[in-house]
Amino acid sequence: MTTEFKVLEQNHPRVDAYEKVTGRATYASDVYLPGMLACKLLPSARNHARIVSIDTTQAAALPGVRAVITGADFPDVRFGSGALRDRYVMPREVVNFVGEPIAAVAADDEATAEEAVELIKVEYEDIPSVVNPLAAMVDGAASVHPDLEDYEGYGFTMGHNVSTLLDADRGDVEQAFRDADVVVEDVYRSQGINQGFLEPMACVADVEPGGRLVIYASTQGPYPVRASLAAVLEMPVSRVRIVPMELGGGFGAKLRLAFEAFPALLAMRTGRPVKLVNTREEVFTMNGPRLPVTNYIRSGVMKDGTITAREAYTIFDVGAYLGAGPNSGIGHGIGAYRIPNFRLRSYGVYTNKIYVGSYRASGVADMTFAVESHMDHIAHEIGVDPYELRLQNALREGDVSVSGAVVPGNGLIETLEAVKERIDWPRELEDGHGIGLALCEWRSGSGPSTAAISVNDDGTVSLLTGSVDISGSDTSLAAIAAEALGIPMEKVIVAKRDTDLAPYTGQSGGSRIVYSQGTAVQRAAEDTVQKLMALAAERLGVPEDALGCEDGRVYVMDNEPQGLTFAQLAAASVTSRGGPIIGTASLSSMPYTPVFAAQAAEVKVDRDTGQVKVLRYIQAQDVGVAINPMAVEGQLDGGVVQGIGRALTEDQQFDPDTGAVRNPSFASYLMPLAIDLPEIEDVLIRVPAEDGPFGARAVAEPPGFGPPAAIANAVYDAVGVRVKQLPLSGERVLAALNGEYDDIPFDVAALRRAEGIG
Amino acid sequence: MARFDYLEPHSLDEALQMLADRGDQARLVAGSTDFLVRWRTGVWRPESVVCMQHVPGLDYIRWNPDDGLAIGAMATVQDIEQNADVRRHYPALAAGATAFAGVQVRNLATVAGNVCNASPAGDTLPALLACNAQCLIVSSTGQRWLPLDELFVGPGQTALNPGEILSELRLPTPAPNTGGLYVKHSPRGAMDISAVGAASVVSLSDDGSCSSVRIALGAVAPTPIRAYGAEGRLVGQQPTAANLAEAARLSAQSCNPIADVRSGADYRREIARVLTERTLRHAVATAGNAPDFADIRRLAVQTAW
Ligand SMILES: Cc1cc2nc3c(=O)[nH]c(=O)nc-3n(C[C@H](O)[C@H](O)[C@H](O)COP(=O)(O)OP(=O)(O)OC[C@H]3O[C@@H](n4cnc5c(N)ncnc54)[C@H](O)[C@@H]3O)c2cc1C
Repeated sequence: MTTEFKVLEQNHPRVDAYEKVTGRATYASDVYLPGMLACKLLPSARNHARIVSIDTTQAAALPGVRAVITGADFPDVRFGSGALRDRYVMPREVVNFVGEPIAAVAADDEATAEEAVELIKVEYEDIPSVVNPLAAMVDGAASVHPDLEDYEGYGFTMGHNVSTLLDADRGDVEQAFRDADVVVEDVYRSQGINQGFLEPMACVADVEPGGRLVIYASTQGPYPVRASLAAVLEMPVSRVRIVPMELGGGFGAKLRLAFEAFPALLAMRTGRPVKLVNTREEVFTMNGPRLPVTNYIRSGVMKDGTITAREAYTIFDVGAYLGAGPNSGIGHGIGAYRIPNFRLRSYGVYTNKIYVGSYRASGVADMTFAVESHMDHIAHEIGVDPYELRLQNALREGDVSVSGAVVPGNGLIETLEAVKERIDWPRELEDGHGIGLALCEWRSGSGPSTAAISVNDDGTVSLLTGSVDISGSDTSLAAIAAEALGIPMEKVIVAKRDTDLAPYTGQSGGSRIVYSQGTAVQRAAEDTVQKLMALAAERLGVPEDALGCEDGRVYVMDNEPQGLTFAQLAAASVTSRGGPIIGTASLSSMPYTPVFAAQAAEVKVDRDTGQVKVLRYIQAQDVGVAINPMAVEGQLDGGVVQGIGRALTEDQQFDPDTGAVRNPSFASYLMPLAIDLPEIEDVLIRVPAEDGPFGARAVAEPPGFGPPAAIANAVYDAVGVRVKQLPLSGERVLAALNGEYDDIPFDVAALRRAEGIG
Repeated sequence: MARFDYLEPHSLDEALQMLADRGDQARLVAGSTDFLVRWRTGVWRPESVVCMQHVPGLDYIRWNPDDGLAIGAMATVQDIEQNADVRRHYPALAAGATAFAGVQVRNLATVAGNVCNASPAGDTLPALLACNAQCLIVSSTGQRWLPLDELFVGPGQTALNPGEILSELRLPTPAPNTGGLYVKHSPRGAMDISAVGAASVVSLSDDGSCSSVRIALGAVAPTPIRAYGAEGRLVGQQPTAANLAEAARLSAQSCNPIADVRSGADYRREIARVLTERTLRHAVATAGNAPDFADIRRLAVQTAW
């Protein structure tokens, strides 16, 4: 199967490898413009307060300061990053979290700007606040957004501090629970997680002589940034140009408007370019991380292992604003299984802490931790093997997914089998050692995707897309174009782009670039080939269906030596009736294409300290077709590394009273290092998708879902305790070993009552 | 980002004079690894900074059987980690050095800076205490010797007066039948501040009993501490498993830990017990042997044993 490809299924170094390894790639902080000013931000010191006054006179008077702005300098418009327009780009009257930027300074240099920020005097009047989302849902709790019901986009109306409620129901849940042989119930909690990308946010704003705004930005989503920026500045989008620079990691944190509006307004005020490079502390305290999630989950199970009913209530803390979402967690309450009766609820709850952001399939990792830990709990409860329980209940082709789509052919079972074989399950291990499994499910992402390919008269092609390169996606797109055009990779030039040049394209995120954007590229390549053939037919005087196209050349099938190369055709096109050759394609929505992955962890638990060490990690993922196997494995390994961090050490903590981030640095927010990681073994399963370029499925997000549950299950296997709260720190595991570990309280009855259930 | 005057003395005397002239408005720096962090976050705002990088002759590490180990003020943690005499005679200190940050930071950070910074979590400090280190303190008016455990006054606070410089640390040569180890407890294998650290140095007499025991703990009290109660329980006793376990229990009782983002207080106390027991056992088991640095490196950071 793989042999039929000329480009795909082979390892290709990145198209931008030279720039990256020589340090010549240009990031937003590398942009220096003449007369450029430096911008610094003043963070709110309170988590819920009325701004009585902001006195900027002293700051503005400091030599070298060129402008100071506050919320009042922006138009009075709310914008939204998620479902609701629930925030001002800079608060006008009320601050909602500690760290929220409330003023910005532009000065000749950073040190002066920093000094000026310290001279701004703010008088606050505190308003009652709430930090814990479960407390925020209770009657009488402080209200984070008293005007919630007036917000544009608000449509669900479900009560206290609840921004959004998503639901999914099927079958007769109550009856199924009554008929079940065993009912298993758990509450899981996962922690705040920072995306941990290498490059802090950065941008440079400039005003062109004609008054258009140009933003050089570190972003995954130039078009959404353009839209939000235009909205908050009350300008038409056509007055804004976003130039996406090299992206030093994003993982969802750079999908939307971040801080670009501040240098933008300062540039408009001063007429000079303004640069803002955020510090790591600002990344932690100003830009949305993932916030804690509490998951109540209950299953009805038959003695033979069939899961017949599922109820899941998920509480997503969304912080001060819906910076993302509401969330993609809802459908994942049943996991990769066929469960005929379910009731799934997912609440987004406002609190006075930093707003929630996106991170590698926001919410799904939290859900997977709950669902896959719960699967093991069920298995132990009814005395079946956790592997067999998964196999028995796994979704099969023809089943109906939560969203109602029919599950197409896929490699789920193969991934499970591959992992079972590699880890040698089941197996007796020495004391303190254990193995755990997890099954991950996801879908390939859709969204507006466009591509244009023009043929150059040396036989190369230029590929233009609006998508930002993320973890090598440009290389994959080039490979798809090369494969579809029948030319080598080196002949594809991926054009640099900005929002003036490139066709409108959605964000680089949500596992959508290779699958959706890749399909657009494939179709644009096919369109290009068609146009080349038409021109060749005209020039060679033969009908189109007599022609073949291979190796960068169109030829007469009956007489191969007769033909024209792409170079000749490109040259000829300039004077042809049809003109220069450019193939294009656009699409927005793609069919449901699931992605499944099975994972296994082998761990060692130190019974005296509770510390968990991952000794081996195995993952098998159905990738459909590996566009660039090396890049696929990079994605899989990176995901697992992030997942291991989530499982064991990463924990963005918040002060219980003020909601302030307690550990805003990499010295206290602990991401795993190479020294902490096991060898990660990847198995690529290839069941080609019905849609997607050449049968490729999305790859990026599922690998990060499995580690918390796989490791928690392995810990249970090793020492017989189940820790239901992340991270699985030594402290928590030791407490569990000592029997001092409490279940997480959760008043599910109150939520059911609110809906009139039970 | 506060501005300061930057001064670069070229001799110890010049440095002492610069400090004397400026009193507590000046800040001495060696590797600056603590300084830069504190300055950038605004915790330290000195009017002037006196940098010792260009003072020659202070980066020595010398050992001989009579005088023991002498560590100059500018010897880096990496110098210590790589030093054969340290590895041979002071395995606990070698462990403290190898458990410290990562290579880049170790290349800048000085041991004297680690001492003067007086963080309760400083990784070389429990080992230095367990090796009975003495401090040579100099000023523009003279010099004095001070035992290390009298130097630490509180978190980040030492008994140094303004204008004084720690110019040398001196560690006596251990008795022949001695073993030691430091273990750092951390969720991560490198580049982390220790949640708890413990060092034990044990000398055995000919009859196998403990002739001298020093146990020191980090990150469990406002300063690094000696666990005198636990030490006293072992001296003169046979190092049986039960005795070591009892000493470890007493060691945990000397702790007065805080709860912070890294861990809770009770967990710290429990880990202090576990680490004390593990370091004691290792010290006893290896007493008199030539320490194996590969072993030390493996044991020094305890993520999971
Ligand atoms: C990324 C990072 C990781 C770190 N990891 C660790 C770790 O794992 N373990 C650990 O223990 N520490 C760690 N540290 C802290 C720091 O590196 C150490 O405390 C280091 O030993 C300080 O030495 P220095 O030479 O850099 O001191 P400096 O920053 O130059 O000075 C520190 C303090 O000591 C004073 N001082 C320095 N030398 C003298 C002297 N001779 N006489 C009198 N006063 C003096 C200074 O005035 C200052 O107050 C880390 C720091 C960073 C930035």
